[in-house]
Amino acid sequence: MIEVSGLTKRFGSVQALRDVSFKVERGQIVGFLGANGAGKTTTMDIMCGCIGADSGSSKIAGFDIMEQPLEAKRRLGYLPDVAPLHMEMRVADYVTFAARLHKVPTLQLRKQVDEAVERLSLGDVRHRLVGNLSKGYRQRVALAQAIVHNPEVLILDEPTEGLDPNQILHIRELIKSLAGQHTIILSSHILSEVQNTCDRIVIIHNGAVVQQGSVEELASQAASGRIYRIRVARNVDQLVPLLNTINQIIAPRVIDKINCEVEFGLSKGADEQIVDEVAKLVVNGGYGLRELALKTHSLEDVFFQLTH
Amino acid sequence: MSAVFTIAWRDIRATFASPKGCAIFFFFLGFMGVFFYNFLHEFVKLTERAPMYGGEAPTLEQLLRALFYNLHFILVLVIPAVTMSSFSEERRNQTIRLLQTSPVTATQIVLGKFIATAAILAMVLAVSAVYPLFIKAFGNPDGSLILTSYLGIFLLMCAQLAFGLWVSSMTTNQFMAFLFTMFGLFLLLILNWLAPSFNSGGLFEGLLKYIASTDHLDVFFKGMLTVNDVAYFVCFAALFLFFTNVVLDSQRWR
Repeated sequence: MIEVSGLTKRFGSVQALRDVSFKVERGQIVGFLGANGAGKTTTMDIMCGCIGADSGSSKIAGFDIMEQPLEAKRRLGYLPDVAPLHMEMRVADYVTFAARLHKVPTLQLRKQVDEAVERLSLGDVRHRLVGNLSKGYRQRVALAQAIVHNPEVLILDEPTEGLDPNQILHIRELIKSLAGQHTIILSSHILSEVQNTCDRIVIIHNGAVVQQGSVEELASQAASGRIYRIRVARNVDQLVPLLNTINQIIAPRVIDKINCEVEFGLSKGADEQIVDEVAKLVVNGGYGLRELALKTHSLEDVFFQLTH
Repeated sequence: MSAVFTIAWRDIRATFASPKGCAIFFFFLGFMGVFFYNFLHEFVKLTERAPMYGGEAPTLEQLLRALFYNLHFILVLVIPAVTMSSFSEERRNQTIRLLQTSPVTATQIVLGKFIATAAILAMVLAVSAVYPLFIKAFGNPDGSLILTSYLGIFLLMCAQLAFGLWVSSMTTNQFMAFLFTMFGLFLLLILNWLAPSFNSGGLFEGLLKYIASTDHLDVFFKGMLTVNDVAYFVCFAALFLFFTNVVLDSQRWR
């Protein structure tokens, strides 16, 4: 549905994008993850045809954004990082304006505007001026603008930026409810958000795609280099050489002498039963097992590893 | 075509939703009123005195011409105020993204903006007709002269708007857009007088004089309608609308 291949972009001396490529299948929600300034907005701007790329191409529903911009844009809803709101317009007028620009037939105009307003629970404010609304409402108006023409592809640049927790939840639900009929790309620098809403994740760092895959794939990748923490009652110094004798354990080390805490890693592809052995060893050796835990691993670890 | 009118209609409404629309009417008609009063006063005085000095009394056509020349001056101030926000404000607030990601071409955006500004100023011009109509009601000036003069002013206005839109499309700073448009239009106005000092009697002088708007406008103010002068204004407007289109379209691939 969305096909981005080999995008590069340079702003003066700054290389903003290097060979960014990814694909999104119909009905998927893809999270575009990266730190601030990683190139998320630039990629999205290029995908929507706002700015041009130095090389590479971007296709929306099979239409190249540079070659057939009108066909591609007809199928596209975009929420930029700065909401493109006309402050002096009323909410309903603004959404109608966006619908007209996107060639919604006049007969369906009213219905679709009402639907978009309803979906984002803007009914109470539909006759108020956009400029008088709070940030959360404005963001929702901007989102209404993006979905009013029922686009096949939705590109959302940090859709939950600046919203309160309740509204974030609401927007997340909305995005999930849009999946299936729409193909969605949303960018964020907040991991938990992407983890909760997206099927696939593309991680971008310094203008290059460093990793992509489903949420499970990335999480299991994080798990493959698992680290355990063990707390014993006594003799922590002798425990480390003992652990070293076990084959698949790597780099055991004391991390806290006073609390007698040791950390060790499992090599890639190691059997989890090793952990049983470790426990036996500790108990039989009279160290006094107090705690044995898997250090939390999540996307955050992957993200941290990839972007540092 | 509907996209053009959607864009134009939004811009027109936005202008009148803010005090800007009223301010344009206020200053334009206010200045016109002051000039009109002044000229009429002078006209009556001269008419009264003419027999005493044995000279000829001024004609109503001369009064009208003086009025229309001043319209030209007021436009130099009003046009930049109208066009400065067209693109630069949208670019600054990023609302231009909405247009850029909609299935509309750059040409449609430019035409929409142009029609919006032209419609606003056409309204002002229509209201300003109260002064010539006043003269028409109490005297008998050449009616066709009023019509051709208005046509000339309207064409001039379209050309100036196109220039203003072009400047506005190149900056995100409204003040810069205002300044450059105003100086550009002012230069165009005085080019006629500057031309001889560049190249007296030469080909270049002729060219500069042709580019200047004043000579072409004179023809309209004399009650004449020539293809040459209509073509000048139409080409001028088309050229700068084309430039605006290029600027806007280039943002897509830059």
